[in-house]
Formats: sequence, C-alpha cells, structure tokens
Amino acid sequence: MNEDRFDLRIVNNNKRLFAFIGDFGSGKTELAINFALMRKALGKEVAIADLDVVNLYFRSREYVDYLEKLGIKVILPPREYRNADVPIITPVVMGSISDHNIDLVLDIGGEEDGVAVLGYLSEYLKKEAYEVLFVINGRRPFTRKIEDIVSLYDRLTRKARGVKINSLVNNTNLMDETTGEIVKEGEELLVEVSKVLSIPVAFNSIAEGVDLKGITLKYPIFRIKRFNVTY
Amino acid sequence: MAEKVLVKGNEALGEAAIRAGCRYYFGYPITPQSELTEYMSRRLPEVGGVFLQAESEVSVVNMLYGASCMGVRVMTSTSSPGFSLMQEGISYMAGAELPAVFINVVRGGPGLGDIQPAQGDYLQATKGGGHGDYRLIVLGPSTIQEAIELVMLAFDLADEYRTPVEVLADGMIGQMMEPVEFPEMRSLDTLPEKPWALTGAKGRKPNKITSFDLDPYKLEEMNLRYEATRKRIIANEQRWEEENIEGADILVAAYGTVGRIMKTVMEMARERGIKVGLFRPITLWPFPYKRLEELSKGVDTVFTVEMSGGQMLEDVKLAVKDNAKTPFYGRMGGVVPTPEEILDQIESLVKGSENR
Repeated sequence: MNEDRFDLRIVNNNKRLFAFIGDFGSGKTELAINFALMRKALGKEVAIADLDVVNLYFRSREYVDYLEKLGIKVILPPREYRNADVPIITPVVMGSISDHNIDLVLDIGGEEDGVAVLGYLSEYLKKEAYEVLFVINGRRPFTRKIEDIVSLYDRLTRKARGVKINSLVNNTNLMDETTGEIVKEGEELLVEVSKVLSIPVAFNSIAEGVDLKGITLKYPIFRIKRFNVTY
Repeated sequence: MAEKVLVKGNEALGEAAIRAGCRYYFGYPITPQSELTEYMSRRLPEVGGVFLQAESEVSVVNMLYGASCMGVRVMTSTSSPGFSLMQEGISYMAGAELPAVFINVVRGGPGLGDIQPAQGDYLQATKGGGHGDYRLIVLGPSTIQEAIELVMLAFDLADEYRTPVEVLADGMIGQMMEPVEFPEMRSLDTLPEKPWALTGAKGRKPNKITSFDLDPYKLEEMNLRYEATRKRIIANEQRWEEENIEGADILVAAYGTVGRIMKTVMEMARERGIKVGLFRPITLWPFPYKRLEELSKGVDTVFTVEMSGGQMLEDVKLAVKDNAKTPFYGRMGGVVPTPEEILDQIESLVKGSENR
C-alpha cells in the first residue's frame, strides 16, 4: 500500500471499535469504508456495520460486493429487508462489538436520529475501548460555522446515551472541486471547534488526487478513495 | 461571487425556494424527499417564515390554497404517492388561478412503489393529474444547480401566469450531492404585486377567489380565460437544451436524471466514433414540440430514453411525426439505466440504420 495514503499517527492506538457520526452528507459512509480498508491493510480482521437507519441512498450496503471481495465482512439487515424504509439493527452488531478478534467499523446515520443507534448500542460499547469520530464537512450548509457545529455536537451527545465523542475529523470538501485551500480552511475551522469542545482533531480526510502543494496542514492526512458514483 | 457549498438536491430545492421569497411551506414527509421537508423546518424559522407539517397531503394542498389566496409565495414538496393525494386540491387551485410551487421528487411506482428514483409521473404531471381542463407548468431539472434556478423560475412563472407550477425531480436529483452556488436572497419587497389577493378589502372592493360558477356559460368564460393563459405560456415559456446537434448520427430525447446521464453517454459515444445529439426538454409542459420537430427533420432516429415505460415518448412522437423513427428504451421500478447500457442501445440503433 502506498505510504502516503495514510499517516500512521491516525491508527496508532489500541482501539478496535470505530464509529463515524456527523451531519447528513458529511461523508461518514465514504470515510467508514476507507477506514475499514485501511485497518484491513494493516492486517486486521475487519467488519463494517451499516447502521444508517436514516437514509437508504448512498450508504455502505451499496458496496457489499466490493468490500467482501477484499475480505471485509459487511454486517447488514437480512437480505429481504435491505431496501425497506425501516430501521433494522441486526443482533450480529452486538455480537461483533464484543468479539475481540475483529476490528469493527460502524457507519452511523446522519444527525441525532442516526446517532440514536449509538445510544441503543451504548451498553455494549461502554464495555469496550471505542473511538467515536465526529465527521465535519465545513462546506455543508449546517456545519459552516463554529456555533452550528457546537450545537450539532450537543444534539448528537444528547442522543448517544453516554457514549463519548472522542475526536473530530476534517472532511471539508466540494467533491471534485476540492482544493488544498478548502481542506486548510476546514482544518482551521476545526481547530477553533476543538478549543470550544475540548476534543482533539484526529485527522484530515482528503480524497486521492486533491493537490496539497503549498499547503501545510497541522493534523495527519488520511487519503481516501471516492466511492459515490456521479453521472 | 458567492462561496460554493456542497449540498444535497433536496436541500438545494428548499434553499432555492427560500431565496425566491417563499416563506410558507406546508408538507408531509415522504422518502426520497424528506430532507427537503426537514430543511424547511430548520430554515424557515430563521427567516421569519412558517413551516407546518400537516396531517396528510390532502391537508397540505388546502393549506397552500388558503395561503396563496393571501398573495404570498407558497410551496410544498412530496413524492409520487403524496402528489397523487394532492390532485383534487391542485385542480381547485388551477381553477382559482392560484400560484404555488409543487416539488415532486419522483419515486418508483405505481402504488406504494419504492423509494428509488423514477420518471413514471410524467404523464400525471404534464397532462393534468386532477380533473378538469388545466395544465401545470412542469420543469425538469437535471443537475442540482439547475434545480436551484428552476425553483426560482417556478415561483416567478407561478405569479406571472397565476398558476400552480410543478418541479418534476426524482430521487436521484433529490439525494445526490453537488457543489453549488446560491443566488442572493430575494427581498420580499421586490416580489410582484398581487392586487387580486385576499388582503382585507380595506378601502377597496372585496376580491373573490373561486374555482367554480354554477352557470355553465360563466364557467365556460372562466375556462376560456384559463385557455388564453395556457396559450400565452405555450408561446413564451418553452425551454430546452440541445447539444451536439450538428451532424449527429442519432438524436436522443431525455429529461431530468436521464438527461444528465446522457452527458456521460455522449462522451463515451464519441470514443466509439458515434456522434450523439441530445435534446433535453426543460419545460415538460409546455413541451418544446416545434423545436424538436425542426430537429427531427435532420436525423434518421430520435431515440427516447426514460426511467419509465415510455411517457415523454408520447410527446416526442407528437413532435417528430413521420420525420424520423422514434424507438424507446426505458427502465422502471426505480432502476437507473447505466451510461453503458444506453450506449449499447444507441450503438445497435446506429448500426441498424447503416445496414439498411
């Protein structure tokens, strides 16, 4: 694997449970998939659970075949319910949280309604060493300002039933129109948010191909593969 | 220049309405447009507007009727089955000549269907889903930036012609994300005057807004007035996009999401040595018959591609007449055709006409 694809500082920990939360369309699913791929590349047994009960479009169950070919287990509701517009959490998720042989990546739905799932799993999560990463795209309408992000954090925390939000991820982007300056602008925003919330910034999530020439970032870089297909 | 933001189609449709001066939204959530309803519930209080979640779509449309009577800009959004429920009220609004904007983020049907994108509501939208002699102006965006422009246009057309206007999107437009720029917020002071509105009749004769008259001759007069409006709309408001027309081997007619997919198809076709032209109606009513008729005289084939069983195809055939062949390819039930499968169809059509 390419050395600069991820910075080892972001994976140097003893945790095996990683949950990605945030606003609608902040890039949680894409990041969760990339994170699972990265853990796999480190030689871990990896499973990814699609717990997005909020939105049935563009979520990790669309990439099942791709991930399974790479040896990543995808935890999904039973096949006959996959396109149903109903929230389903299969008991396999609870089992996997407690299974110390695997790294588990949780792709959580948007906003506080999505995070209610974390609250539901809180009794299981609290027994383990987990990392909840709050994904922020500073170019999304409701997460452009410090106060909006702080208010979202408060709402997410309320629904998480004691599950802590451990770190922030800068995923500021405009898809194909992302520039190094846009990433930097997002990092600067999160530095301020981090001061208010007293939560560290874990890393910058940046799509492959975004030119960072002349840009100095304070936090580690995690290069991600884009998955959303656009016509 | 405004800074670009990354938005979901549903959010963009909502923000565009607010920037067009809409301060009254009534709605009932339904996938795949619920983010739009949610967006309005978040944003309208910030701009001093009213968001109201009704108990059903039947209530929604009647709330729109009432609010529109007051002369303010009003909107709702829904998806296929929800839009069907509104038809009676829409017919009443057309009869009462009340401006309003309806956004239909179409999903697979008929019946309950599914929540994936489809274009099966074209005939309902363009030929009048409710009763009586009326048409809605119907606008079909193919990108999120265009959706923003068309929502703003929808409010202007609704006011100018005193008619309900439908923005016919689909689950793909509603759910996908794109970087966009929003126009400036329209000041409410710049919105058109509505001397017909029910504003209290202080110092003037009372206005009357109704969709009926029990005297058939008077009702016919009303119908003739609607018809005159329709003629003005047909004369002034046809919009379309055409691309790659010059020397095209085949002309494809597609709107909305399929119109967007066609951009990729055209590039891929060029690599295979086929020149594909695109005719993309933007106003689905009034359909740009005349322009398509002219274009059809220069090609062998006008190929219609839709996410339906062939609905816009009927309008394409009315325009093309016997000038060219009018084959069709469609996917239904919420399946979005891939650029590859459309290109394969085009390739066999072009080869077929060469071998003749």
